[in-house]
Amino acid sequence: MSDSPEQPVDLKPLIAIDQVIHAQARLIVLTYLYVVESVDYVYLMHLTRLTWGNLSTHLGKLEEAGYIEIEKEFQGKKPHSTIRLTAQGRQAFREYKQSMQQVLDDLPD
Amino acid sequence: MSEKISLKDAERKAFKLALQDGLWDILLACFTLMFAVAPLLSTSLGDFWSSAIFLPFWALVYLVIKLLRKNVIKPRLGSVKFGPSRTARLLKFNLLTTSILLVTFILGILAAINFAALPGWTFPVSMGLGVLIGFTLAGYLLEFNELYFYGLLIALSPIVGEWLYFNLNVSHHGFPITFGATSLVILISGLFKFVHILREYPPFTTNTLSGAA
Repeated sequence: MSDSPEQPVDLKPLIAIDQVIHAQARLIVLTYLYVVESVDYVYLMHLTRLTWGNLSTHLGKLEEAGYIEIEKEFQGKKPHSTIRLTAQGRQAFREYKQSMQQVLDDLPD
Repeated sequence: MSEKISLKDAERKAFKLALQDGLWDILLACFTLMFAVAPLLSTSLGDFWSSAIFLPFWALVYLVIKLLRKNVIKPRLGSVKFGPSRTARLLKFNLLTTSILLVTFILGILAAINFAALPGWTFPVSMGLGVLIGFTLAGYLLEFNELYFYGLLIALSPIVGEWLYFNLNVSHHGFPITFGATSLVILISGLFKFVHILREYPPFTTNTLSGAA
């Protein structure tokens, strides 16, 4: 046992990281939604390069968390979905950014 | 810092995807075509009608492009509404375009009134410079790199045309050749992008969606 133990790294910010956002695919989706006002399903699919089913699953989780809203309508006879970030989602994304920055800044070299 | 850069890149990527359908290029090629064809028509139709005849042509092209965007591009690429920073940039671009068109219109009238008194190179050089400045600013504001190249081609067209006229005695100040070539290059570039979209991005129909889900 050492006489002068090293100061333990404070991992509280790591625990506070939002797991809904932290998944890679959802992080990519939220990044794009953060920088545009709204986007439809097809456009988001091309931007994120996720498959239709994969994107649907992740959007479902984000919608469940209240981070995005999906507006469904018919354009002629075709269904059309518009996706946008909610105020809660925008705030959560900002907090996620801050938490991640804090965690990375606090890590020893 | 890197977070900031990646968000910026994400926004730029979202915007560029909307510009890559080639239809704006095709519209620009049709505008440029007027400078190539109008001088040829002026002997039979007169100066005014040789240019005015292009208004319904442009309107038709614009209508076709709107229909193509709605029925061909949107089912393939989807649609996006941009955030406040991009909207502000687009507003600046629109203001710039309107200002350039107004200045060009006024200079055009002044040049037409005093055309005989203008030294030979005044018109092509001032037109070339104006186009180059306008397209450079537009390319910067829209972050649409092809506009720098198109601007350079269009700016060189009247200057090279005038050179052909003075040195090789090419008719109509060389405009049909230089603007025709420029228009063709822009048109080919636009068609190439358009065909690329058709090939790379299949349309998403209702069946495709339910089948994949």
